[in-house]
Amino acid sequence: MSAGETWRLRPGQTLQYRGWDEEYVLYNDLSGDTHLLGDAAIEVLLTLNKGPASRQALAAMLETQFELDTLEADAETAALLQHLQRLYLVESAAC
Amino acid sequence: MLTVASLGRAELERRLGGPGLDLRTGAFVSRIRSRIPQVAENISLLYADNPLQEEGGFADFHVRLRPSRGLRRWYRPQVEFDVDKLVPFEPLPLSNAFPMLEWALNWCISTRAHAYLMIHAAVIEKNGLAAILPAPPGSGKSTLCAALVHRGWRLLSDELALLRPADGLLLPVARPVSLKNRSIEVVREFVPGAVLSRPVSDTAKGTVAHLKAPAASVARMHEPALPAWVVFPKYAADAPTTLEPIARARAFMRVAENAFNYSHLGAAGFLALSGAIARCASYDFRYSDLDEAIAVFDALERPPT
Amino acid sequence: MSRLPLLLLALRDPGRVGAFTAADWDLLMRQSASMNLTPSLLALLEERGLLDRVPAPARAQFEWARPLALRHGQAARFEVAAIRTALRPTGLPLVLLKGAAYTMAGLRAGRGRLYSDLDILVPKARLDDAEAALMLHGWAATHHDAYDQRYYREWMHELPPLQHVRRQSNIDVHHAILPETAPVRPDPARLLAAARPVAGEPGLAVLAPHDMVLHSATHLFFESEFDKAFRDLLDLHFLLSEFGAEAGFWEGLVPRAHELQLGRTLFYALRYARRLLDTAVPQAVLDAAAVHAPPAPLLWLMDRLFERALLPPHASCADAFSGGARFLLYLRGNWLRMPPLLLARHLFHKAFLSPRDKPAT
Repeated sequence: MSAGETWRLRPGQTLQYRGWDEEYVLYNDLSGDTHLLGDAAIEVLLTLNKGPASRQALAAMLETQFELDTLEADAETAALLQHLQRLYLVESAAC
Repeated sequence: MLTVASLGRAELERRLGGPGLDLRTGAFVSRIRSRIPQVAENISLLYADNPLQEEGGFADFHVRLRPSRGLRRWYRPQVEFDVDKLVPFEPLPLSNAFPMLEWALNWCISTRAHAYLMIHAAVIEKNGLAAILPAPPGSGKSTLCAALVHRGWRLLSDELALLRPADGLLLPVARPVSLKNRSIEVVREFVPGAVLSRPVSDTAKGTVAHLKAPAASVARMHEPALPAWVVFPKYAADAPTTLEPIARARAFMRVAENAFNYSHLGAAGFLALSGAIARCASYDFRYSDLDEAIAVFDALERPPT
Repeated sequence: MSRLPLLLLALRDPGRVGAFTAADWDLLMRQSASMNLTPSLLALLEERGLLDRVPAPARAQFEWARPLALRHGQAARFEVAAIRTALRPTGLPLVLLKGAAYTMAGLRAGRGRLYSDLDILVPKARLDDAEAALMLHGWAATHHDAYDQRYYREWMHELPPLQHVRRQSNIDVHHAILPETAPVRPDPARLLAAARPVAGEPGLAVLAPHDMVLHSATHLFFESEFDKAFRDLLDLHFLLSEFGAEAGFWEGLVPRAHELQLGRTLFYALRYARRLLDTAVPQAVLDAAAVHAPPAPLLWLMDRLFERALLPPHASCADAFSGGARFLLYLRGNWLRMPPLLLARHLFHKAFLSPRDKPAT
């Protein structure tokens, strides 16, 4: 996975979700599953909902939003994107 | 209005043995056919207040219970049920006939009525607000439910919470409460005058008996209720009574895990459940003493909107 | 056939339901439920604006069924997308058959249609590639019995069904629409050549209209198990009705059947669709198909057998001869798909050696 790589929301996901106290449940329009997600994951999804973004940009967003240091933000972003991709929520534009 | 009690035993047996008895339980009409005496006996006892539909009408479920044929008719006799000739389960000992009817009716509803989000839970109501008690077997939910509905709470169901997506209301079914093993004695002591079927001792779950739903609950079987609380009960001998709030998103996932058809309903299921969870206060509840448990439920406050 | 079951009456002429009594509705819903046809019946009544003529208790049951079709369509689409991703490296177009084709092509036959397996067609030479690609993406072989494996691979026209390890969805990978052992050989290369892309779905294709109808007909008339026969007949009815409105469809149907050696099959399909479901077929087409009719005494027998076996399996639709009819057609179906020696060996094995495996739906 490279930093410049672009990620986007999988076409067809409308991001129906509800949140309480920084925990969220989200309905997956494609698989029909429902996921329990944390606030970082939701922020990534909401950012991608506005348009595709690079991994770098997403890491920068998390760094700011959650006051992480750059290394943490990088690792967190990579892990999140992999997780969300496995759930069919996001895909990299390289696919 | 025609009820099981007003029908009389002779006519009850005629219908059961012939065209079928069309029994109304809340939103559902079940056409029951059986010549097994235990079935007539227990319907007469436990469904006395339930309305009946006239013959030749529309029924939602068509259930027949009969003794197995062949060798098993005489040697360790068995009973089997079919739903419109479909046989979903293996036969059981003949003594299990009435419990089998109850399981058959639960099966019919939970596998077919997908207009509702159906959760494996008890539902009770007081002062216009309902509590959903989801619970895996062994949690003591039915004992608690049996006690509460004899202390001022209305019974909507002891097994099936039916949540209507359109308005978020819970629909009653108001059928007998199923009790197992020790809880049969506990309830007998706790509820003087409790109407109970004769316990059946050789079921897969141990000894099983059914408690008649209070007449007042049966009378209100068409009155839905607004959910206000989700309470996950857990009985533990000698445990102090505790009520712990649960984070809503976690409560959501736990209720979904206890639902029969959450994934069948897709986005509509998600919306219905999130509406209910948003509206309700959710708790983990541990108890060992029924009086204390009832006091906690009576003290539950309407959640802020 | 003396009196047609209520379900057929409702399907032939939906307007009639306005006159049904409570007892009629009770029986109709049971016949419909026995075949998982309630979502289809709901779609039909809605199309004709008849839902408000349905009495409340039956109406409630339609609402029970409504979410199922929606959820099923969603799941089917998801599976198709997953298969497409899996097969992409092979360069093979994804040619869908039967239910999945109806869904993805937005056909009337797909509305409310529930099915448990997805069927695809690949060239025989590419079977191994396709299988390997699917297994890489989580689909695993079932039917591990060496005999069953051979049954499918050598004698039938498909791989043993593949099941996804996580989602438990099933794919049947076909290389032809009839087994190699059958007496007629509709050339799969012709079917693939005529396959049509699905609008808005790159990489996805379905059979051409004539071929879709003929495939549905072969499925029905070469079949040995008749539990789902009525549903297949209903598919045929919807396909014929929808494609019948397309220019050139009727004129080309019999010639195409002849080309694929399916003349007799088409004859039966048109005959029974018309007789049971009142499908509108131009007289000229019936006349053209009639050259493939069996000799009169055989036709007399087939009428008696099929007009029973094609009905819904609900007890209310049966008469004293229905069981026998299904049994004879079971033998016929197996006979048509396998030569006698192979058949004897297969039935022996199936009866005594294979574990019983009944599919879910």
